[in-house]
Amino acid sequence: MLVSPLADRLIWQEWDDIYIVYQPAAAATHVFNETTVLILKCLQQGPLSMEVLRHQTEAALGVSQDELAANDFEFATTRLEELGLVEFVDDPSTAQ
Amino acid sequence: MIVGDLSRRELADRLAGEGLALQFGPFNLRIRSNLGSFASLAHQLYEPYPLPEPAAISDFHVDISAPRGLRRWLRRQACFGIDGQLPFAPYTIEHAFPALEWGINWCVATRAHHLLLLHSAAVERNGRAIVFPASPGDGKSTLCTALIHSGWRLLSDEFGIVRPEDGMLLPIPRLIPLKNQSIEVIRKFRPEAIIGPSFLETRKGTVAHVRPPVESIRRAQEPARPRWLVFPRWVAGAPFTLEAMPKSQAFLSVATNAFNYEVLDEIAFRLVTEMVRSCDAYSLVYSDLDDAVNALDKLSQASDG
Repeated sequence: MLVSPLADRLIWQEWDDIYIVYQPAAAATHVFNETTVLILKCLQQGPLSMEVLRHQTEAALGVSQDELAANDFEFATTRLEELGLVEFVDDPSTAQ
Repeated sequence: MIVGDLSRRELADRLAGEGLALQFGPFNLRIRSNLGSFASLAHQLYEPYPLPEPAAISDFHVDISAPRGLRRWLRRQACFGIDGQLPFAPYTIEHAFPALEWGINWCVATRAHHLLLLHSAAVERNGRAIVFPASPGDGKSTLCTALIHSGWRLLSDEFGIVRPEDGMLLPIPRLIPLKNQSIEVIRKFRPEAIIGPSFLETRKGTVAHVRPPVESIRRAQEPARPRWLVFPRWVAGAPFTLEAMPKSQAFLSVATNAFNYEVLDEIAFRLVTEMVRSCDAYSLVYSDLDDAVNALDKLSQASDG
């Protein structure tokens, strides 16, 4: 499973470790914590597998590998998918 | 030329005929009415307001008149109209004046989408403005009225009007509708304040209109730069507090208080972001007007250096 970015342009404003993110394609304003924003930033270069994305997010957060709670990571990626900011796609490299 | 240059008779004739053209900050209105009681109050409370140039285009054509037909004789009512439409149920004729004032606010809030409209009061001193975003009942009108009778200029009681081109606040120094206990509070705080008659049992309780100081009306074409965001809350008996508010919280409070944030999309996001970036934000709780006015005076003086 790959996580793929969907929004081609986002406008960011950070205050007090809270991120206000404007999504022009949906005319929507979101409020994200640092973890959620770092997930989006990790995806700016293209799709990543869940595992790689989680590890890159942990590195960006400055925590050791597997320190980011699985529930928190899953909640954040699911929320981003609901908002139309990412999508889950099959990984072609693992196709039979 | 101002309304006060017209005799009461001339004003009544205009209202009953082609309409009374009035300038409220960035908007020109044309008001029509066939109600004698309305003309009398309009002459008194609109006295210092300017009349636009004769060739100026009216942004809104509004009407506060007795209904036509049989209803006119069954119950004495007043209907608010805009461009021939009647968006609200009729009011009792005694409430015609507040009905027109609310109607004008409604016109601005629902139609002026070339501007960002915050639900807030705003006052200015030395070129710097305080914006007071608030929900109904938070005491913003009472505080705003106290400030404009204590050396601050009224930009607006109901709308923080932000010009998209440069983020400046445009004044719209209209009458301030005080409600219920606030009327007596202001009468005691500043006995010299010009307050119109009390309208009892309106849809918002007892309402009386404060006429802003003439200086505020005279400078209605002079915009101001927002410098502070203050979120007021009146709480009976509460000790005074003025605490810094995180900018992320200020952003959300301003954006959710705006009338047309969704309509303006990215423009609104950028304007609110810039306003929050350039303003110090505070949460203010007060029960005593003197405390609040003194604290905001000090805030302004500290900024003056």
